[in-house]
Amino acid sequence: MVGPIYIIAISLGTAFSLGFFKKANRNISFGLMFFAMAFVTFISGQWLYAFLSHQQETIQIFTAGFKPPFSISLQMGFHEAVFLTMINVLGLLSAIYLFDHLKEKGANMMMVFMLLFMGLNVVVMTRDIFNLFVFLEISSITLVGLIILEKKQDAISSGFKYLIASGIISQILLIGIIAAYYYGGSLFINDMVDSNLLFVKGGSVAVFLILIAVVLELKPFPANGWALDVYQSATPGIGAIVSGAVATTSLFILYKLLPIGGDAWLLPIGITGVISFLGSNFLGINQKNANRILGYSSIGQVGLLMIIMSLSKDLGDKFEFVFFSILISHYLAKAGLFWISGIINKDEIGQWNIIKNKPGLIVLTGVFMLTLLGLPPFPSFYGKWELIMNLAHSGNFTWIAIILLGSFFEAIYLLRWFGKTLMNNENSEELIVKFHKIFPAVISSFLILMFSFLTARWSGLMSVKYFIPFAIALLLFALDFLPVFIKNIMAIATVSWYSYVLIYQTYIPENDILRIIFGFIFLIGAILLLFPGFTFKGKRRGFYPLVILMFSGLAGLIEARTTFQFFFAWEMMTLASYLLIIRGKNAKKTSFSYILFSMAGAFMMFIGFGLAYFETGSISLNALADVLIYANWVYILVAVGFLVKIASLGVHIWLPDSYTEADDDVTPMISSILVKSGVFGLIILMLSMSLKNAASSNIPYILGWIGALSALIGNMLAIYQEDVKKLVAYSSIGIMGYILFGLSMMSHLGWLTAISYSIVHFLYKALLFLAVAGIIYRTKTRNIYEMGGLIKRMPLSFISVLIGIITLAGMPPLVGFAGKWMFYNAVILKGWYFQGAIVFFSGIVAFLYCFKLIHNIFLGPIKDNHRKLKETSVWWLIPQFVLIIGIMIISVYPKIILEPIGLYLSMYFPGEGLVWAGTTASTSLGYWDATQIMMVFAGMFGVIFIILFLMSRKVQVVEQFNIVFQAERPERPETTHYAHNMYAPYNKALGFLAAPFITNSWEFIYESFHAIGDQIRKFYTGNGQTYALHIVMYVVAFYLFINGGF
Amino acid sequence: MKIVYVLLGLFIIINYGLLQAGVLRRITARVGKRIGVPFYQPYIDLIKNYAIRSQFSHGVMFYLGPVFRLSGGVGIFLFMPLIFGNEIFSNYSMAGDLILIMYFMFIGMLGMALGAGEGGHPYSIIGITRGLSQFTTVEVPFTLAVISIAIQYQTLSITEIVAAQQGGIMHWTLMTNPLATGAAMLSFLGMMMYAPFNVVNAPQENPLGPPTEFHGTFLGMLQTNRVILGVMEAILFMNLFFGGATNWGILFIKAFLIYFYPVFVGAVFPRYRIDQSIRWFLYLPTALGILAIIFI
Repeated sequence: MVGPIYIIAISLGTAFSLGFFKKANRNISFGLMFFAMAFVTFISGQWLYAFLSHQQETIQIFTAGFKPPFSISLQMGFHEAVFLTMINVLGLLSAIYLFDHLKEKGANMMMVFMLLFMGLNVVVMTRDIFNLFVFLEISSITLVGLIILEKKQDAISSGFKYLIASGIISQILLIGIIAAYYYGGSLFINDMVDSNLLFVKGGSVAVFLILIAVVLELKPFPANGWALDVYQSATPGIGAIVSGAVATTSLFILYKLLPIGGDAWLLPIGITGVISFLGSNFLGINQKNANRILGYSSIGQVGLLMIIMSLSKDLGDKFEFVFFSILISHYLAKAGLFWISGIINKDEIGQWNIIKNKPGLIVLTGVFMLTLLGLPPFPSFYGKWELIMNLAHSGNFTWIAIILLGSFFEAIYLLRWFGKTLMNNENSEELIVKFHKIFPAVISSFLILMFSFLTARWSGLMSVKYFIPFAIALLLFALDFLPVFIKNIMAIATVSWYSYVLIYQTYIPENDILRIIFGFIFLIGAILLLFPGFTFKGKRRGFYPLVILMFSGLAGLIEARTTFQFFFAWEMMTLASYLLIIRGKNAKKTSFSYILFSMAGAFMMFIGFGLAYFETGSISLNALADVLIYANWVYILVAVGFLVKIASLGVHIWLPDSYTEADDDVTPMISSILVKSGVFGLIILMLSMSLKNAASSNIPYILGWIGALSALIGNMLAIYQEDVKKLVAYSSIGIMGYILFGLSMMSHLGWLTAISYSIVHFLYKALLFLAVAGIIYRTKTRNIYEMGGLIKRMPLSFISVLIGIITLAGMPPLVGFAGKWMFYNAVILKGWYFQGAIVFFSGIVAFLYCFKLIHNIFLGPIKDNHRKLKETSVWWLIPQFVLIIGIMIISVYPKIILEPIGLYLSMYFPGEGLVWAGTTASTSLGYWDATQIMMVFAGMFGVIFIILFLMSRKVQVVEQFNIVFQAERPERPETTHYAHNMYAPYNKALGFLAAPFITNSWEFIYESFHAIGDQIRKFYTGNGQTYALHIVMYVVAFYLFINGGF
Repeated sequence: MKIVYVLLGLFIIINYGLLQAGVLRRITARVGKRIGVPFYQPYIDLIKNYAIRSQFSHGVMFYLGPVFRLSGGVGIFLFMPLIFGNEIFSNYSMAGDLILIMYFMFIGMLGMALGAGEGGHPYSIIGITRGLSQFTTVEVPFTLAVISIAIQYQTLSITEIVAAQQGGIMHWTLMTNPLATGAAMLSFLGMMMYAPFNVVNAPQENPLGPPTEFHGTFLGMLQTNRVILGVMEAILFMNLFFGGATNWGILFIKAFLIYFYPVFVGAVFPRYRIDQSIRWFLYLPTALGILAIIFI
């Protein structure tokens, strides 16, 4: 094996020899430097491989034949190998990335580049603190050299600020080293650790100075203006080096020197980390400059890693896993983003939409940002999970709250940014992507994916089967060049196969009714709703992998047996649905609020799972039932995540616009299928926490009120909507409130209502949205008042909507009535009269928008431009009629779903259910016979129809513009369509219920964040002297803090 | 055999309803110091409409609207027990309870709304939106009253509710649960759509409202439905609050008195604007309904 000393030798040798090539061909110089860098990378990689594959022992290298403390000693251990490999790989990729930059600036720049990496390598390996100081200086100066050699004015000024700051820091370090030598007598780090310097007289000052210098090297918030300016003004390729290599090295220094301070220093480091993590991420929210945001994010992540380091004792043997999974994700993703930023070469994130037409770049950006956010399947997800769970295990909930809060801040700006990259681009500027610039980012994303798989296996939490969906999604991604028709068939086939395996082969034999039902909704529903995909032309790039991920996330939810599996599936489903929504033309803003609410909800759920783990020590979902002491907390926290998904009142504001702006065939998927994940989650939660757990009994009562008010407000808002999709979307809020109310009753009948209504809601909501989408597909407008009279053009769609609204409104003889009837019985038996009355009222309010929906689209005079419309495409109609058949079957014979659900529920709720006698269902209160009602109704309707038919055989059908009738005005038929602002009087009377109070409150909170961030930001003046003062003040404050001065 | 009795019951109800309508029109006219139509005028109107030969249709839904509407009215009849203790005139009430009746009313409304909608006359739609708007809040006190009596009698079966009220006037819900009765009777005013809640089809502002485009047989069917529906709603209230009826005679008297009450109120009070009437039901009637549940 090549010894680590060669790293120095080769780097140094190359750097000097580059001097000879100054005038020669720059390609040769670059080639030389590149091969040196590659060889250095090879050496470190080879050591890493040795440590990983066969128990290589840590080795010490003593230079000049002396033993320490008289010689400089280098150490090569596993950690060193990891860090060196990381740094050198980044160096190699940076060299590729900076190819033309380096060539342009010539051999001097290459020399400096080479020396920078040599410096960093030695800093990692050395065990002598003075030597560390020297090479730290070398790397600082070379870094500044790289920046200044760019010869851009603001880069030069930021380079000088960097120089001033690092000068102060190194003086502090130097004084510390002198003091340490004076009091401890050795500069060999191992000796310093062993000698307990803290307890030697004066030693604590030495330790303080050394460690504070190291902390300052990590650019802690708020003494970091100098570093931020570098991030902002240097070429992004150099930003990548600062973030990926320099920051990583600094972390390693802290890791190496922290033992000198002993346990007493863990907490101060942790608190420094907290301030950095929260502060930077908070300020990041208000930033617009891409590179500066990356700087903030980078500093924030370093803060997180400092927190993790300080908690190493609590994390125990999981420390390495957590630390490295987060570190490596951060390192790869951040560098990748810097590189992309360099390709785009725009300062403002608002201008990033230039990549709108470059799917490859969008995918790369997405991968990097989601990695930073710690979403599955990226490696940081597993790291965060283990971090939170282990912290929970030792009861560190303050830390958990801080970490999740900071992550949430980070999510805000990263996702906002991601949304901006997808904004419509009116600017026709063409983006030129050079191969050598994109190559490092591509490699980095591959490394992320590879590392994802490795972390997942390493974590031991995931079996291989969880990768199948990802494999399929990747395959579909690879086949993205195929036309949409073929990909749609593939997607349908995949989901069909999945549902066969899951429902037919697994749950039906197990007779697990709950999972059969939700499997049916999630997967059979998916098959149906994929049909309209056939109407799309072209390629629909990126659509199918996401669809597969979303549906397999949903399937993963019902398969989950542990909180980890559940959370994984939940996040995956959320993420995929977010990406599906954001594909809509104007969905950027709304998908942002969707993902923010979802992330906040998911984090709450995360804390809840952590709390449950803290108490029970198990991550099994069933263990939720054993939570006693913290039952209320767990219950609320987990429930919030689900309430967000079903858009309960207060957290509903994301829903209407998201549904409206999503693609027309995505809307039915999310509205009728995806929301049911929240219902399923609530069912799982309530089954274990409310039923088997006596400790948390009041929460369902609160949930019941939330459900009732959601039902009221959702329906109230729906009636005033002029956008047809929004109308149906608001109605979803109402119906979900209704289901929530049913569940919260915690009675047999309440649950029977809620679960069976979940099926019914799936059927009619999918039906309505499909019908509406089919109509929009033809009319090309979503404004309901611009339609009208379409019954003659689209009779089949009319039938769909008619069946849909009759079911929604709960009129007999269709199955919607079953819901209403059971509901009355449940409410009266439960004794929740007032909440129940609110829900009934909202049910009647639903009539208003049902009528609006059908009248404004289909009835009244037809508009001029719609006179030649055709019935919608058959691909929209097929699923509609399958759904209608479903509705009709359970309308005539509701027993087929109600009886098995009732049997299943009687396991959990031995209380009163439905008693079946033939087709008559009864409770102690009332009775109802759907089959008979249907027969009576059909007979009566038939007889009356025949009477009318016989009496009006000579009826003359009049067309439009027969102005004797209808009060029509031929020149402007739209003026007689009473459609716009249809319920104005109702608005006048009860419109206050629809005031956007909640939306305004949330917006106020969001604006306040910005305003506060704006004030804090003024702290960074951009003046080097002020920054120097910040550093000194930081040191003083820190000293006072750890010595109890505050 | 059942079907014959059901049809007999329907025949009685229609005739009774027509006579009642005629008598009430005459009474109203007298209140307004007019002579009024003969009491058999509704028969003449009905026969005339069914006999008109020239008919126009605006389309399928226009054509089916009256069918839905009449089905709604007849449906309520079919599922309502008429005479307590009389198996023959209990119709198909074994198929569903009070909730079924309440929701069956909506079928007719929907059918009417759809038919009138395809008719396309703006007055129709204005009338329908007003009707629906008002209806939402009319139902609130009624729902509360229904919940209250369901708690009181622990049943939703109309037959059992009537059974519980047997044994003299002191057993009627009117006496045992006056608050619920009060709430329901106030919402009854809204259901019957006489003044002050008749802006839906108020001739002065909104000529005829929903049925504007209907004529001939279509209008005849709507009129038939109106007759049946009015009587059936009175019978529903009779069953729920006024002890039901053990024979036809009592049924006629009680139904007449109950029906007379909104007519009486309508003759005395002026009309509300629609937004006023929407709000009105959420004040006093709803308050009574809430009290009815609290003090049950």
